[in-house]
Amino acid sequence: MTTLLIKNGRVVDPKNDVDGVMDVFVENGKIAKIGKNLKEKADKTIDASGLVVTPGLIDIQVHFREPGREDKETLETGSMAALAGGVTSVVTMPNTTPIADNQTVIEFILKRARELDLINIYPAGSITKGENGAMLSEINELKNSGAIAITDDGVDVQHEGVLKRAMEYARTCDMLLMSHCETEELTEGGVMHEGWVSTQLGLPGISAGTEDLAVYKNILLAEETGARLHLLHNSTAGAMREIRAAKKRGAKNISAEVSVQHFALTDEECMGYNTNAKMYPPLRSQDHIDAIIEGIKDDTVDCFTTDHAPHIEPDKIKAFQDAAFGFVGLETSFAVMNTYLVKKKHIDFSKGIEKMTIAPAKIIGVDKGHLSVGADADIAIFDTDKEWIVDAKKFFSKGKNSPFIGKKLTGKAVYTIVGGKIRYSEGEIVRE
Amino acid sequence: MTADIALRRKPPSEAEEDLNSFRKNRDLSFQDLVSIDQVTQKDLELIYDVARRFRDYRTYKFSFNKGYSQVNAFFEPSTRTSSSFDLAAKQLSMDTAGVSANSSLQKGESYLDTIETIDAYNVKVIVIRSKESGVPEMAARHTQASIVNAGDGWHEHPTQALLDGLTMLDHFGSKDMKGKTVTIVGDITHSRVFGSLVRLLKMLKAEIRVAAPLTLLPKEVEKFGVKTFVNIEEALSSGGGSASGGKGADVVYALRVQSERGANGFIPSLREYSKMFGISRKRLDLASKDAILMHPGPVIRDIDVHSALAAVDEQSHILRQVENGMAVRKALLWLLCDRIDGKTKEFVRK
Repeated sequence: MTTLLIKNGRVVDPKNDVDGVMDVFVENGKIAKIGKNLKEKADKTIDASGLVVTPGLIDIQVHFREPGREDKETLETGSMAALAGGVTSVVTMPNTTPIADNQTVIEFILKRARELDLINIYPAGSITKGENGAMLSEINELKNSGAIAITDDGVDVQHEGVLKRAMEYARTCDMLLMSHCETEELTEGGVMHEGWVSTQLGLPGISAGTEDLAVYKNILLAEETGARLHLLHNSTAGAMREIRAAKKRGAKNISAEVSVQHFALTDEECMGYNTNAKMYPPLRSQDHIDAIIEGIKDDTVDCFTTDHAPHIEPDKIKAFQDAAFGFVGLETSFAVMNTYLVKKKHIDFSKGIEKMTIAPAKIIGVDKGHLSVGADADIAIFDTDKEWIVDAKKFFSKGKNSPFIGKKLTGKAVYTIVGGKIRYSEGEIVRE
Repeated sequence: MTADIALRRKPPSEAEEDLNSFRKNRDLSFQDLVSIDQVTQKDLELIYDVARRFRDYRTYKFSFNKGYSQVNAFFEPSTRTSSSFDLAAKQLSMDTAGVSANSSLQKGESYLDTIETIDAYNVKVIVIRSKESGVPEMAARHTQASIVNAGDGWHEHPTQALLDGLTMLDHFGSKDMKGKTVTIVGDITHSRVFGSLVRLLKMLKAEIRVAAPLTLLPKEVEKFGVKTFVNIEEALSSGGGSASGGKGADVVYALRVQSERGANGFIPSLREYSKMFGISRKRLDLASKDAILMHPGPVIRDIDVHSALAAVDEQSHILRQVENGMAVRKALLWLLCDRIDGKTKEFVRK
């Protein structure tokens, strides 16, 4: 029996509408008691005075590259990066090598996660075999082996007929379908947001319309089929407009996320051919950011993710057009949210935490993301006023690329606790 | 005896003293040239003062850059730009070598490794032409050598704009293009020539018009400060009708339309493009009476420009552009290599 007492922190638990200085007592991996001046004796005590205690963050879109590209990231290094960012649960995307279109890969990931015993890893399987957009994966088998959702992230199912059948079949299996919204005929060759910056740089653009059209198509088919649809990494004003309209029509089966970079940075980051700022969807112009922030405020956006996408250095030190899409975000996501939304007073802290805890937990259907008595003791403790400059050399992730490198962010995880065990403590990963 | 023969017979010391008298101990503000955005008004004056004098000397061999080397790294095919950079360097007594795309890059070496290798030869200048935008700018951050952009993707081709500017200013005998209208016609989206020209013309205070099918106009191109037209007659003549009250174009600048654009659906066919946007005698007559016709080359005759206009017509300045290209590149290479202030790039090789 192990016990942990977190003293005098400001506890923010959006699900239970808790926001105040109190103590949290953890016993046997569960939240045992929350209240002021708890007198329980504990094996270990954390003094959280001046710090903020929240449910461990949940990021439902990350790429950990294992199996297949362990040079880019492993389940271990990805988990370490998560811990350093206060993230205790992730959903891994299935575009590994081989692709997670079968139970073997899912079972492998779950087995490795158990062995590592660092964070909760929920693997997603693919919608189609080999993410080929043509033949459905064995979705029921994926579910039975432990896949939390299906997605072809990295690409979008282009054939509407296949997508519709995938939704019908996903509903048959009561499986969540996550869509990466992209109309490939419109993005062909594009490497950044199409607009004034791409024109100045002479780079092929990715129009906002390519995403809007795919979002609309996905919503339409989800409404028709009744499938549970989650829209990954939305980045455009048009996406916000379509999602808002669908929710207004009463579509309860549709949820949407925004990756934190898409409310923080504009396409100006690409100036100088900065490949750290190359990603899909691309960083957009300020008018899109404004629309995204409106969508966050009125809950058109349900949750935040990173789309953590590690690459090896040689894939990034290339001509912008040839460089890989994506960057690592797990170690900066909380700070980005805190810096660009809370400190800029767009939303209050509790709402930001809600969209990184209970909201994503509900989307994937896990009983996590809150600090109710009896809940799993997944806890993050942040210094929300700590200012730091992002330095890639200090990343736990194998990926060293981020558009936030060199930027000053506010807020950093101090402790991360998973299942009642301290797994990250003041800059160090803690193992038993 | 014509003037240029007289110059050719000048002893080297006198010729170089003569050039120095035009340079007047001035230096450029930049060490690499990847974009016209780096060029200041003073840089432009200096380059043009020196280029005009180099032009008078034609192929005279100067020893200004003796002991310095230049690698022409043309990762994409080029005829005029590569040969003129090479000759310009040689006429300044530089040693030159060329590398092309069908070598190490095909073996899988990255641009950066190739460029760092060349830089380790301790060359003074690396001239880069690349299929992708941004390669020269990236290279410039990793070399001791000065990087000169000889065209990158759809981005820029700064020495082309510099030579075009010189051609225009000399024709009009003025210091800038204030009050003059330049109409640029053709594939704007995929044109690095446009990328540099529009920036330079802005500096020179020209009124800029652009005519192209909307499939070949990039997003928000108006933010460069240009007026766009889909009707070439309007773009050449009154400038959008009575509202602007403008006059005909003073410079008609035709860009090449590559045949593969047709296959990719940007235009239905070169035939239709030629009918809608090709520069014919009739269309040229819509421009200002003494308008000049320019083209960066290679001209696809009877597609971009009607054959009869391309080389023989007295309004055509296409070959003058080429001649000015030699002079401008020579000026640039001299000014980059042989600095009065002795400054070098701050980059330190690992």
